[in-house]
Amino acid sequence: MNFTFVVEHAYLIPLLPLLGAVIAGFFGAKWLKGQSHWPIWLGVGAAAILSFVLMFGLIDKAEKISAEHGKPTSQHAEVAEHPTHSSEIAPQGVSEIESGGSFAYINQIYNWIEVGDPKAADTGKYLHVNVGYLFDSLSGTMLCVVCGIGFFITVFAAGYMKGEAGYFRFFAYLGLFIFAMTNLVMGENLIMLYLGWEGVGLCSYLLIGYYYDKPSAREAAKKAFLVNRIGDFGFGLGIMLSFLAFGTVSYFGDGHSAGLLSLANSENLSAFQQTALHWIPFLLMVGAFGKSAQFPLYVWLPDAMEGPTPVSALIHAATMVTAGVYMIARCGSLFVGEPAAMWTVAIIGLFTALFAGTIALRQYDLKKVFAYSTVSQLGFMFVAVGVLAPVAGVFHLITHAFFKALLFLSSGVVMHAMGGELDMRKMSGLKKVLPKTRWLMLIGCAALAGFPFTAGFFSKDEIIGAAWERSHLVAILLLVAAFMTAYYTFRLYFRVFAGPEVIPQPAEGHGGHGHDTHAHTQDDHGQNRIADAHAHDSHGADADSHGHDAHADHGHHNHEPFVMMFPLLVLAIGALVSGAYLSGFFTGKPVLEHFLGTSPSFVATYNKAVASSEETARRTGNLIEEVNPASLGQHDKRDLEVIEAEHSTHHTFMIISSIVALLGIGVAYHFHLQDRAAADRLEPSFAGIARILDAKFWVDEVYQAAVVEPLRSLGKAFFTIDKMVVDGIVSIIGLVPQLSGFALKLTVQRGYLQGYAAAMLFGVIAILLVVFL
Amino acid sequence: MSQLALEHYLAVGAIMFCIGLIGFMCRRNLIIMFLCTELMFQGVAINLIAFGKFHNNLSGQAFTIFVLVIAAVEASMALGLVVLLFRQKNTLDADAWKELKG
Repeated sequence: MNFTFVVEHAYLIPLLPLLGAVIAGFFGAKWLKGQSHWPIWLGVGAAAILSFVLMFGLIDKAEKISAEHGKPTSQHAEVAEHPTHSSEIAPQGVSEIESGGSFAYINQIYNWIEVGDPKAADTGKYLHVNVGYLFDSLSGTMLCVVCGIGFFITVFAAGYMKGEAGYFRFFAYLGLFIFAMTNLVMGENLIMLYLGWEGVGLCSYLLIGYYYDKPSAREAAKKAFLVNRIGDFGFGLGIMLSFLAFGTVSYFGDGHSAGLLSLANSENLSAFQQTALHWIPFLLMVGAFGKSAQFPLYVWLPDAMEGPTPVSALIHAATMVTAGVYMIARCGSLFVGEPAAMWTVAIIGLFTALFAGTIALRQYDLKKVFAYSTVSQLGFMFVAVGVLAPVAGVFHLITHAFFKALLFLSSGVVMHAMGGELDMRKMSGLKKVLPKTRWLMLIGCAALAGFPFTAGFFSKDEIIGAAWERSHLVAILLLVAAFMTAYYTFRLYFRVFAGPEVIPQPAEGHGGHGHDTHAHTQDDHGQNRIADAHAHDSHGADADSHGHDAHADHGHHNHEPFVMMFPLLVLAIGALVSGAYLSGFFTGKPVLEHFLGTSPSFVATYNKAVASSEETARRTGNLIEEVNPASLGQHDKRDLEVIEAEHSTHHTFMIISSIVALLGIGVAYHFHLQDRAAADRLEPSFAGIARILDAKFWVDEVYQAAVVEPLRSLGKAFFTIDKMVVDGIVSIIGLVPQLSGFALKLTVQRGYLQGYAAAMLFGVIAILLVVFL
Repeated sequence: MSQLALEHYLAVGAIMFCIGLIGFMCRRNLIIMFLCTELMFQGVAINLIAFGKFHNNLSGQAFTIFVLVIAAVEASMALGLVVLLFRQKNTLDADAWKELKG
């Protein structure tokens, strides 16, 4: 199996997980039962292998190209002269595009939608959508994250979900999710992206509501679905406008017309296209904000923690929520033409990073802390793409996928061991109880906090450095957010794993999969595995459906079985070394930057950014605002001095952010390990702030009052109108046959046989008269 | 009185049909009503035979055989139904079933 094979049979990557899902879904309930994870393991595992084969092929190709071009170069002039690649792309089969230092493989599998006249392709009256897959460095990287990390999470899930009711259902959904997510990242056009986008939304809904007999889970699932509808509505409009303006939805052309991203770069845009380019980014970004949980559409993500923990790790931390970042990185050239859009992305990202970070400061539920932290880290990624540093954004996406998946899964282990308890006030000093998890969690926390030389340190630092070039204020505020990250992460670690050993007692009336503090509807028995030797005999019918965590070895209470520890180990290694490797800190070779720079998307974005800043400079008469090629993975042609200066800024920021991270950890150490009473002593003086944070800025309440209640009233009004007016008219119409039937019953249809006979006779006579007279 | 002409046959058939029709309209007894329909059948059958004879065409008679067979089948069915209806209400009065209207 080699690279060409994978590109030619690209459909295998999404289809194998789907096949697994179908097998698990249809045969799981009756036959596979506890073995339902096998089809998914095999399907996702095979997809992961294919992804890595693909990745190695892409890396080879990227190196070959950079050898040919001397260095990875961006050839602005060349691309601008040939803004279209359409001639190079076959409508069917594999084609390769190569332009400047960029390359991509496109496999058009079949013609999915075709509307209108092909001859009218340029006038926007011909819609053509292929099921086609695009392989470039960006989609390859995303595929490896999705399938690779996805695979390890499914492995973990087999241990974690053991004995749950609906085990097969869980794995079928996971397979379906990987199918949708791979479509999302591999899709060759916006419609394929949208297909995957909605698919992952559906899987997210299904998996959040996995414990569907629990009202809070149902509510959370509905909330996620509805909030995402808002975003997807904007996103859908954005796609439609793109089609309307450019007559295609394909990124780089599909053999019928030139690609969207290259068309957006062309120099002679019509007036309508220019206007459209002002609006498209705003519409697309609404979709990204919804899917990637940015303010004000982030509200669904914390509630999504109602789902099983592997789902939180896979969907709500590592992969799905990063789809928005991927989309903006992919469609960068649609965004950079409109500086206001870029600033909106950056500022919303920054605000979300700070906002969610402050809420996380006072959360007590392990998963809630990580949920708000995810929202906050996604904010970092949005800042990165907003300040035109998508390489840093994707870099943080990768490292975040590693360490946040690790953290979520580790907190899942804690939750199992504590019989469903996640409140960090009720536990402490678990390092003896969970010796392995403790170290894994420590690694994850260090990476999230940006502890020097862990993965999160490098990626966060790159974002802050890139932000500094654009705006000092943004960078400083990001440092504040990073400080909070370090603090709340280690607050959690010190509370849960260090200090005196406290194990939550059972009979709290709060257990099972009560993931959070408002699981008040649950009254299944939160047994404590450590104290309670007969852990499995008190399950009622209700408790069984939440099926606490039946472990493989009932007798030993092993909370850290191999099937769960092995994936965590892999993720922990990723969380430690991926940052240093990808940023090339020690080797001096920024692997990820060079690799991602070969994506046509990044080249197009760079070219558009340069053109647009030149244009702005011409219009305003100001100096040209330099675009940093390195932040887009492009070859730096600027003076060595400038580059050196930037490097030294980056190094300064490494030192500053190390200090910030250590400071945050230090503060957490003081208040949550050394002197826990100090935190309580301080609390009264900050009572106001504490109340605001505990209420999470009343965002949910504001939503309730501003959106939910008016909509409900509107619904009630419509219901009344429907009842009175519409139903009234229908009833009146319904009365006509009823009344006439009643009249007939009294006159003609009286049930006398002779009456009918007479009617027949007169009928015949009447016919005869008509015929013969 | 000369030879019997077509009109005589037709007149007998018409009279039989009308007697059957009037009987069907006026009587309430299910069996009598059934007999009346048989009478109408036979009136029609006489018409068919008379026309067949007059036109020297055997299809009229052949058709009558069919009519008789069908009448016999129908008779067995109808009498069975009448028996069933009688068992339900212990009466043969057709008006007893008038609630089946509508």
